[in-house]
Amino acid sequence: MPTVLQNIIRFILLVLFQVLVLDNIQFLGYINPYLYILFILALPVQTPRWFSLLLAFGLGISIGICSNTPGQHAFATVLVAFARDGIIKLFTSIEEGNNPTPSFYTFGVSAYIKYVVILVFLHNVALFFLESFSFVSGWIILTKVVLSSLVTILMILGIQSFSKK
Amino acid sequence: MKNLINFLIQYSVVFLFLFLEVISVTLIVKNQDYQKSVFLSSSNSVASTMFEWSNSVVEFFKLRTANDNLSEENTALKNQLVKLQNQLVSLKKETPDSIHFRIPPEMEYQFIAAKVIKCTTNKTLNYITLNKGALDGIKPDMGVVSDEGVVGIVKTVSTKFSVVIPIINPKIEISCKFKRSNYSGGLLWNGEDSRYANLNDIARHVELALGDTLITSGLTSTFPEGIPVGNIEDFKIKTSDAYYKIKVKLAVDFRTLSHVKVINYLNYQEQKDLEKKSEEQ
Repeated sequence: MPTVLQNIIRFILLVLFQVLVLDNIQFLGYINPYLYILFILALPVQTPRWFSLLLAFGLGISIGICSNTPGQHAFATVLVAFARDGIIKLFTSIEEGNNPTPSFYTFGVSAYIKYVVILVFLHNVALFFLESFSFVSGWIILTKVVLSSLVTILMILGIQSFSKK
Repeated sequence: MKNLINFLIQYSVVFLFLFLEVISVTLIVKNQDYQKSVFLSSSNSVASTMFEWSNSVVEFFKLRTANDNLSEENTALKNQLVKLQNQLVSLKKETPDSIHFRIPPEMEYQFIAAKVIKCTTNKTLNYITLNKGALDGIKPDMGVVSDEGVVGIVKTVSTKFSVVIPIINPKIEISCKFKRSNYSGGLLWNGEDSRYANLNDIARHVELALGDTLITSGLTSTFPEGIPVGNIEDFKIKTSDAYYKIKVKLAVDFRTLSHVKVINYLNYQEQKDLEKKSEEQ
Protein backbone atom coordinates (compact mmCIF):
# COMPACT_ATOMS: atom_id res chain seq x y z
CA MET A 1 0.00 0.00 0.00
CA PRO A 2 1.43 3.42 -0.88
CA THR A 3 2.58 5.38 2.16
CA VAL A 4 0.33 8.36 1.46
CA LEU A 5 -2.85 6.30 1.38
CA GLN A 6 -1.71 4.39 4.45
CA ASN A 7 -1.27 7.65 6.36
CA ILE A 8 -4.63 9.06 5.28
CA ILE A 9 -6.38 5.92 6.52
CA ARG A 10 -4.37 5.99 9.73
CA PHE A 11 -5.37 9.63 10.33
CA ILE A 12 -9.09 8.88 9.96
CA LEU A 13 -9.00 5.69 12.02
CA LEU A 14 -7.03 7.27 14.87
CA VAL A 15 -9.33 10.32 15.08
CA LEU A 16 -12.45 8.13 15.11
CA PHE A 17 -10.96 5.70 17.63
CA GLN A 18 -9.84 8.55 19.88
CA VAL A 19 -13.14 10.42 19.82
CA LEU A 20 -15.59 7.53 19.86
CA VAL A 21 -13.78 5.01 22.06
CA LEU A 22 -10.85 6.36 24.06
CA ASP A 23 -12.54 9.59 25.17
CA ASN A 24 -15.21 7.45 26.82
CA ILE A 25 -12.77 5.37 28.83
CA GLN A 26 -13.17 5.94 32.53
CA PHE A 27 -10.61 4.21 34.66
CA LEU A 28 -9.77 5.49 38.14
CA GLY A 29 -10.87 8.92 36.94
CA TYR A 30 -7.36 9.77 35.84
CA ILE A 31 -6.59 7.87 32.70
CA ASN A 32 -7.47 9.24 29.31
CA PRO A 33 -5.01 7.84 26.77
CA TYR A 34 -4.33 10.08 23.78
CA LEU A 35 -3.42 7.48 21.19
CA TYR A 36 -3.99 9.81 18.22
CA ILE A 37 -0.44 11.14 18.62
CA LEU A 38 0.69 7.85 17.04
CA PHE A 39 -0.13 9.45 13.68
CA ILE A 40 2.63 12.03 14.14
CA LEU A 41 5.05 9.44 15.58
CA ALA A 42 4.50 7.15 12.59
CA LEU A 43 5.03 9.73 9.83
CA PRO A 44 7.93 8.74 7.53
CA VAL A 45 11.25 10.13 8.77
CA GLN A 46 11.91 12.43 5.82
CA THR A 47 8.48 14.08 5.77
CA PRO A 48 9.13 17.81 5.19
CA ARG A 49 8.99 19.55 8.55
CA TRP A 50 6.59 22.28 7.46
CA PHE A 51 4.24 19.60 6.20
CA SER A 52 4.31 17.56 9.40
CA LEU A 53 3.66 20.76 11.39
CA LEU A 54 0.58 21.51 9.30
CA LEU A 55 -0.62 17.91 9.61
CA ALA A 56 -0.15 18.10 13.38
CA PHE A 57 -2.15 21.31 13.54
CA GLY A 58 -4.99 19.75 11.53
CA LEU A 59 -4.95 16.64 13.70
CA GLY A 60 -4.99 18.65 16.93
CA ILE A 61 -7.85 20.84 15.73
CA SER A 62 -9.94 17.83 14.67
CA ILE A 63 -9.50 16.12 18.02
CA GLY A 64 -9.99 19.40 19.86
CA ILE A 65 -13.27 20.29 18.16
CA CYS A 66 -14.73 17.00 19.32
CA SER A 67 -13.77 17.62 22.95
CA ASN A 68 -14.50 21.37 22.97
CA THR A 69 -10.88 22.30 23.66
CA PRO A 70 -9.51 23.11 20.17
CA GLY A 71 -6.41 25.09 21.10
CA GLN A 72 -4.93 22.74 23.70
CA HIS A 73 -4.71 19.69 21.45
CA ALA A 74 -3.40 21.72 18.49
CA PHE A 75 -0.69 23.29 20.65
CA ALA A 76 0.52 19.99 22.12
CA THR A 77 0.44 18.14 18.80
CA VAL A 78 2.33 20.86 16.90
CA LEU A 79 4.91 20.88 19.69
CA VAL A 80 5.44 17.13 19.29
CA ALA A 81 5.74 17.43 15.51
CA PHE A 82 8.35 20.14 15.96
CA ALA A 83 10.39 18.18 18.50
CA ARG A 84 10.21 14.93 16.51
CA ASP A 85 13.03 15.63 14.06
CA GLY A 86 15.49 16.54 16.78
CA ILE A 87 14.67 13.40 18.77
CA ILE A 88 15.08 11.19 15.69
CA LYS A 89 18.51 12.74 14.95
CA LEU A 90 19.53 12.29 18.56
CA PHE A 91 18.79 8.59 18.88
CA THR A 92 19.19 7.15 15.39
CA SER A 93 21.51 7.36 12.44
CA ILE A 94 19.27 7.17 9.39
CA GLU A 95 21.28 7.45 6.18
CA GLU A 96 20.55 10.18 3.65
CA GLY A 97 18.09 9.06 0.99
CA ASN A 98 16.43 6.50 3.24
CA ASN A 99 12.89 7.29 4.25
CA PRO A 100 11.74 4.64 6.72
CA THR A 101 8.60 4.76 8.84
CA PRO A 102 9.60 4.82 12.54
CA SER A 103 9.19 1.39 14.14
CA PHE A 104 11.07 -1.22 16.20
CA TYR A 105 12.70 -2.57 13.02
CA THR A 106 13.93 0.68 11.52
CA PHE A 107 15.04 2.43 14.73
CA GLY A 108 16.07 -0.50 16.89
CA VAL A 109 14.15 -1.47 20.00
CA SER A 110 15.78 0.81 22.57
CA ALA A 111 15.89 3.87 20.31
CA TYR A 112 12.24 3.45 19.34
CA ILE A 113 11.14 3.09 22.97
CA LYS A 114 13.06 6.24 23.93
CA TYR A 115 11.54 8.07 20.94
CA VAL A 116 7.99 7.12 21.92
CA VAL A 117 8.41 7.73 25.65
CA ILE A 118 9.88 11.22 25.26
CA LEU A 119 7.38 12.47 22.68
CA VAL A 120 4.29 11.01 24.37
CA PHE A 121 5.37 12.47 27.68
CA LEU A 122 5.98 15.87 26.06
CA HIS A 123 2.52 15.74 24.48
CA ASN A 124 0.78 14.86 27.75
CA VAL A 125 2.62 17.47 29.79
CA ALA A 126 1.73 20.24 27.33
CA LEU A 127 -1.86 19.06 27.03
CA PHE A 128 -2.69 18.61 30.69
CA PHE A 129 -1.01 21.77 31.86
CA LEU A 130 -2.78 23.85 29.20
CA GLU A 131 -6.09 22.16 29.90
CA SER A 132 -6.15 22.60 33.62
CA PHE A 133 -3.71 25.43 34.22
CA SER A 134 -4.88 27.43 37.25
CA PHE A 135 -7.99 25.30 37.75
CA VAL A 136 -6.57 22.26 39.48
CA SER A 137 -3.74 21.62 41.89
CA GLY A 138 -0.36 20.53 40.53
CA TRP A 139 -0.30 17.05 42.05
CA ILE A 140 -3.51 15.99 40.36
CA ILE A 141 -2.20 17.18 36.99
CA LEU A 142 1.09 15.36 37.54
CA THR A 143 -0.69 12.10 38.40
CA LYS A 144 -2.84 12.47 35.32
CA VAL A 145 0.18 13.19 33.11
CA VAL A 146 2.14 10.20 34.38
CA LEU A 147 -0.72 7.68 34.27
CA SER A 148 -2.08 8.79 30.90
CA SER A 149 1.40 8.87 29.33
CA LEU A 150 2.11 5.40 30.65
CA VAL A 151 -1.06 3.92 29.18
CA THR A 152 -0.57 5.74 25.85
CA ILE A 153 3.06 4.55 25.62
CA LEU A 154 2.08 0.94 26.36
CA MET A 155 -0.67 1.09 23.75
CA ILE A 156 1.65 2.50 21.07
CA LEU A 157 4.41 -0.02 21.81
CA GLY A 158 1.82 -2.80 21.83
CA ILE A 159 0.41 -1.79 18.47
CA GLN A 160 3.88 -1.41 16.97
CA SER A 161 5.08 -4.79 18.18
CA PHE A 162 2.20 -6.44 16.29
CA SER A 163 2.72 -4.50 13.06
CA LYS A 164 4.70 -6.05 10.21
CA LYS A 165 8.04 -4.88 8.97
CA MET B 1 17.81 42.27 1.70
CA LYS B 2 19.23 39.06 0.31
CA ASN B 3 20.48 38.15 3.77
CA LEU B 4 17.10 38.81 5.21
CA ILE B 5 15.43 36.53 2.67
CA ASN B 6 18.01 33.82 3.31
CA PHE B 7 17.41 34.16 7.02
CA LEU B 8 13.67 33.85 6.56
CA ILE B 9 14.05 30.76 4.36
CA GLN B 10 16.49 29.12 6.73
CA TYR B 11 14.23 29.51 9.71
CA SER B 12 10.91 29.19 7.88
CA VAL B 13 10.04 26.00 9.76
CA VAL B 14 10.62 27.69 13.09
CA PHE B 15 8.42 30.58 12.03
CA LEU B 16 5.69 28.19 10.90
CA PHE B 17 5.98 26.40 14.24
CA LEU B 18 5.65 29.64 16.19
CA PHE B 19 2.81 30.80 13.96
CA LEU B 20 0.80 27.60 14.54
CA GLU B 21 1.42 27.71 18.29
CA VAL B 22 0.26 31.33 18.42
CA ILE B 23 -2.96 30.33 16.63
CA SER B 24 -3.44 27.52 19.16
CA VAL B 25 -2.97 29.83 22.11
CA THR B 26 -5.39 32.32 20.56
CA LEU B 27 -7.93 29.53 20.26
CA ILE B 28 -7.46 28.59 23.90
CA VAL B 29 -7.92 32.17 25.04
CA LYS B 30 -10.81 32.88 22.65
CA ASN B 31 -12.58 29.70 23.71
CA GLN B 32 -12.88 31.06 27.23
CA ASP B 33 -15.42 33.56 25.94
CA TYR B 34 -18.91 32.43 26.65
CA GLN B 35 -21.40 31.71 23.89
CA LYS B 36 -19.04 32.05 20.95
CA SER B 37 -17.18 29.64 18.71
CA VAL B 38 -19.99 27.32 17.71
CA PHE B 39 -17.84 26.25 14.77
CA LEU B 40 -14.95 25.12 16.93
CA SER B 41 -16.98 23.17 19.44
CA SER B 42 -18.74 19.84 19.31
CA SER B 43 -22.03 21.59 18.52
CA ASN B 44 -20.89 22.06 14.91
CA SER B 45 -22.86 19.87 12.58
CA VAL B 46 -20.19 17.37 11.49
CA ALA B 47 -19.04 16.53 15.00
CA SER B 48 -22.50 16.43 16.50
CA THR B 49 -23.94 14.26 13.73
CA MET B 50 -21.12 11.81 14.38
CA PHE B 51 -21.81 11.80 18.12
CA GLU B 52 -25.53 11.40 17.56
CA TRP B 53 -24.81 8.34 15.45
CA SER B 54 -22.42 6.84 17.99
CA ASN B 55 -24.86 7.58 20.78
CA SER B 56 -27.62 5.64 19.05
CA VAL B 57 -25.45 2.56 19.50
CA VAL B 58 -24.37 3.21 23.09
CA GLU B 59 -27.79 4.36 24.27
CA PHE B 60 -29.16 0.86 23.87
CA PHE B 61 -27.07 -0.31 26.79
CA LYS B 62 -28.33 2.46 29.05
CA LEU B 63 -32.02 1.77 28.37
CA ARG B 64 -32.65 -0.45 31.34
CA THR B 65 -31.52 2.04 33.97
CA ALA B 66 -33.21 4.88 32.10
CA ASN B 67 -36.49 2.94 32.16
CA ASP B 68 -36.21 2.23 35.86
CA ASN B 69 -35.57 5.88 36.60
CA LEU B 70 -38.46 7.00 34.43
CA SER B 71 -40.96 4.70 36.05
CA GLU B 72 -39.80 5.77 39.50
CA GLU B 73 -40.14 9.42 38.57
CA ASN B 74 -43.54 8.73 37.06
CA THR B 75 -44.79 7.25 40.30
CA ALA B 76 -43.42 10.13 42.32
CA LEU B 77 -45.06 12.63 40.00
CA LYS B 78 -48.40 10.85 40.13
CA ASN B 79 -48.30 10.86 43.92
CA GLN B 80 -47.54 14.55 43.87
CA LEU B 81 -50.39 15.17 41.44
CA VAL B 82 -52.88 13.47 43.70
CA LYS B 83 -51.63 15.39 46.69
CA LEU B 84 -51.86 18.71 44.88
CA GLN B 85 -55.31 17.97 43.55
CA ASN B 86 -56.51 17.21 47.06
CA GLN B 87 -55.00 20.41 48.33
CA LEU B 88 -56.63 22.39 45.55
CA VAL B 89 -60.03 20.95 46.36
CA SER B 90 -59.71 21.69 50.05
CA LEU B 91 -58.51 25.23 49.37
CA LYS B 92 -61.35 25.96 46.98
CA LYS B 93 -63.87 25.13 49.68
CA GLU B 94 -62.32 27.47 52.19
CA THR B 95 -61.73 30.54 50.04
CA PRO B 96 -64.35 32.59 48.28
CA ASP B 97 -64.00 33.39 44.56
CA SER B 98 -62.50 36.84 45.03
CA ILE B 99 -59.05 35.50 45.89
CA HIS B 100 -57.39 34.01 42.83
CA PHE B 101 -54.43 31.74 42.82
CA ARG B 102 -51.28 33.09 41.31
CA ILE B 103 -48.05 31.26 40.65
CA PRO B 104 -45.12 33.16 42.17
CA PRO B 105 -43.17 34.74 39.26
CA GLU B 106 -39.90 33.02 40.18
CA MET B 107 -41.57 29.62 39.83
CA GLU B 108 -42.76 30.10 36.25
CA TYR B 109 -40.59 27.80 34.22
CA GLN B 110 -40.86 25.11 31.59
CA PHE B 111 -38.77 22.05 30.89
CA ILE B 112 -37.34 21.19 27.48
CA ALA B 113 -36.45 17.50 27.30
CA ALA B 114 -33.16 16.69 25.56
CA LYS B 115 -30.88 13.73 25.05
CA VAL B 116 -27.19 13.63 25.89
CA ILE B 117 -25.28 12.64 22.77
CA LYS B 118 -21.79 13.17 24.16
CA CYS B 119 -20.53 13.40 27.70
CA THR B 120 -16.97 13.18 28.97
CA THR B 121 -16.14 12.56 32.60
CA ASN B 122 -12.43 11.79 32.50
CA LYS B 123 -11.04 15.18 31.45
CA THR B 124 -10.41 18.28 33.46
CA LEU B 125 -12.63 20.41 31.25
CA ASN B 126 -15.66 18.20 30.68
CA TYR B 127 -18.50 19.15 28.34
CA ILE B 128 -21.85 17.63 27.41
CA THR B 129 -23.48 17.88 23.98
CA LEU B 130 -27.29 17.78 23.73
CA ASN B 131 -29.46 16.98 20.70
CA LYS B 132 -31.62 20.10 21.07
CA GLY B 133 -30.68 23.64 20.06
CA ALA B 134 -31.97 27.11 19.27
CA LEU B 135 -34.84 25.65 17.20
CA ASP B 136 -36.22 24.01 20.34
CA GLY B 137 -35.92 27.22 22.34
CA ILE B 138 -32.64 26.59 24.13
CA LYS B 139 -30.59 29.68 24.89
CA PRO B 140 -27.17 30.12 26.51
CA ASP B 141 -27.16 30.38 30.34
CA MET B 142 -30.15 28.09 30.82
CA GLY B 143 -29.89 25.50 33.59
CA VAL B 144 -29.83 21.77 32.85
CA VAL B 145 -31.14 19.11 35.25
CA SER B 146 -31.78 15.38 35.11
CA ASP B 147 -34.17 13.25 37.14
CA GLU B 148 -31.51 12.89 39.81
CA GLY B 149 -30.43 16.52 40.14
CA VAL B 150 -28.42 19.42 38.74
CA VAL B 151 -26.34 18.76 35.61
CA GLY B 152 -24.95 22.10 34.44
CA ILE B 153 -25.43 25.29 32.44
CA VAL B 154 -25.82 25.72 28.67
CA LYS B 155 -22.77 27.35 27.08
CA THR B 156 -23.08 27.39 23.30
CA VAL B 157 -26.11 26.81 21.12
CA SER B 158 -26.30 26.03 17.41
CA THR B 159 -29.57 25.55 15.55
CA LYS B 160 -29.92 21.86 16.37
CA PHE B 161 -27.44 21.18 19.14
CA SER B 162 -26.14 22.73 22.33
CA VAL B 163 -23.10 22.32 24.56
CA VAL B 164 -23.46 22.26 28.35
CA ILE B 165 -20.79 22.96 30.96
CA PRO B 166 -21.52 20.36 33.63
CA ILE B 167 -20.78 20.83 37.33
CA ILE B 168 -17.81 18.53 36.78
CA ASN B 169 -15.96 21.35 35.01
CA PRO B 170 -14.02 23.79 37.19
CA LYS B 171 -15.14 26.70 35.01
CA ILE B 172 -18.49 26.97 36.76
CA GLU B 173 -19.56 27.24 40.37
CA ILE B 174 -23.12 26.45 41.42
CA SER B 175 -24.75 28.24 44.32
CA CYS B 176 -26.40 25.74 46.63
CA LYS B 177 -27.64 25.44 50.21
CA PHE B 178 -28.40 22.85 52.86
CA LYS B 179 -31.95 21.61 52.89
CA ARG B 180 -31.87 21.43 56.69
CA SER B 181 -30.29 24.73 57.69
CA ASN B 182 -30.54 26.98 54.58
CA TYR B 183 -26.85 27.96 54.73
CA SER B 184 -25.56 28.52 51.19
CA GLY B 185 -22.18 28.21 49.49
CA GLY B 186 -20.54 27.63 46.12
CA LEU B 187 -20.04 24.13 44.77
CA LEU B 188 -16.82 23.70 42.77
CA TRP B 189 -15.33 20.63 41.15
CA ASN B 190 -11.66 19.90 41.86
CA GLY B 191 -10.89 18.09 38.60
CA GLU B 192 -10.33 14.72 40.19
CA ASP B 193 -13.28 12.35 40.45
CA SER B 194 -16.53 12.81 38.54
CA ARG B 195 -18.58 11.55 41.49
CA TYR B 196 -17.48 14.18 44.01
CA ALA B 197 -17.15 17.97 44.27
CA ASN B 198 -16.17 20.44 46.98
CA LEU B 199 -18.31 22.93 48.81
CA ASN B 200 -16.72 26.16 49.98
CA ASP B 201 -17.79 29.12 52.09
CA ILE B 202 -19.53 27.22 54.88
CA ALA B 203 -18.44 28.90 58.12
CA ARG B 204 -17.42 26.84 61.13
CA HIS B 205 -20.40 27.67 63.33
CA VAL B 206 -22.77 25.81 60.99
CA GLU B 207 -23.75 22.38 62.24
CA LEU B 208 -23.20 19.63 59.70
CA ALA B 209 -23.89 15.94 59.57
CA LEU B 210 -22.75 13.29 57.13
CA GLY B 211 -25.42 12.69 54.50
CA ASP B 212 -26.97 16.17 54.71
CA THR B 213 -28.75 17.01 51.46
CA LEU B 214 -27.68 19.95 49.32
CA ILE B 215 -30.19 21.67 47.03
CA THR B 216 -29.96 24.62 44.65
CA SER B 217 -30.35 27.92 46.44
CA GLY B 218 -32.53 29.72 43.90
CA LEU B 219 -30.38 32.82 44.32
CA THR B 220 -29.33 32.77 40.66
CA SER B 221 -31.83 32.94 37.84
CA THR B 222 -30.46 29.75 36.24
CA PHE B 223 -31.93 27.18 38.62
CA PRO B 224 -35.15 27.32 40.63
CA GLU B 225 -34.85 26.58 44.33
CA GLY B 226 -34.83 23.03 45.64
CA ILE B 227 -33.26 20.88 42.94
CA PRO B 228 -31.03 18.21 44.54
CA VAL B 229 -27.27 18.70 44.10
CA GLY B 230 -25.76 16.02 46.32
CA ASN B 231 -25.05 14.76 49.84
CA ILE B 232 -22.20 15.40 52.24
CA GLU B 233 -19.77 12.53 51.94
CA ASP B 234 -17.11 13.85 54.27
CA PHE B 235 -16.15 17.10 55.98
CA LYS B 236 -13.06 18.37 57.72
CA ILE B 237 -12.13 21.43 59.71
CA LYS B 238 -8.83 22.28 61.35
CA THR B 239 -8.78 24.29 64.55
CA SER B 240 -7.27 27.24 62.66
CA ASP B 241 -9.74 27.20 59.75
CA ALA B 242 -12.72 29.50 59.47
CA TYR B 243 -14.41 27.43 56.80
CA TYR B 244 -15.22 23.75 56.42
CA LYS B 245 -13.69 21.56 53.73
CA ILE B 246 -16.72 19.62 52.55
CA LYS B 247 -16.68 16.73 50.09
CA VAL B 248 -20.00 16.34 48.33
CA LYS B 249 -21.24 13.22 46.57
CA LEU B 250 -23.04 14.52 43.50
CA ALA B 251 -26.64 13.46 42.95
CA VAL B 252 -26.09 12.94 39.23
CA ASP B 253 -23.99 10.06 37.94
CA PHE B 254 -22.42 11.61 34.85
CA ARG B 255 -21.20 8.28 33.56
CA THR B 256 -24.72 7.01 32.95
CA LEU B 257 -26.35 10.31 32.07
CA SER B 258 -28.65 10.01 29.05
CA HIS B 259 -31.82 12.12 29.36
CA VAL B 260 -31.87 15.67 30.71
CA LYS B 261 -34.24 18.62 30.95
CA VAL B 262 -33.28 22.18 30.08
CA ILE B 263 -34.94 24.77 32.30
CA ASN B 264 -36.59 27.63 30.49
CA TYR B 265 -37.20 30.31 33.11
CA LEU B 266 -39.94 32.42 31.56
CA ASN B 267 -39.27 35.63 33.47
CA TYR B 268 -35.48 35.51 32.93
CA GLN B 269 -35.31 38.57 30.69
CA GLU B 270 -37.59 40.65 32.88
CA GLN B 271 -35.62 39.86 36.02
CA LYS B 272 -32.26 40.49 34.31
CA ASP B 273 -33.46 43.82 32.88
CA LEU B 274 -34.74 44.97 36.24
CA GLU B 275 -31.53 43.99 38.03
CA LYS B 276 -29.44 45.73 35.39
CA LYS B 277 -31.55 48.87 35.62
CA SER B 278 -31.19 49.10 39.37
CA GLU B 279 -27.44 48.61 39.12
CA GLU B 280 -27.15 51.51 36.68
CA GLN B 281 -29.02 53.94 38.86
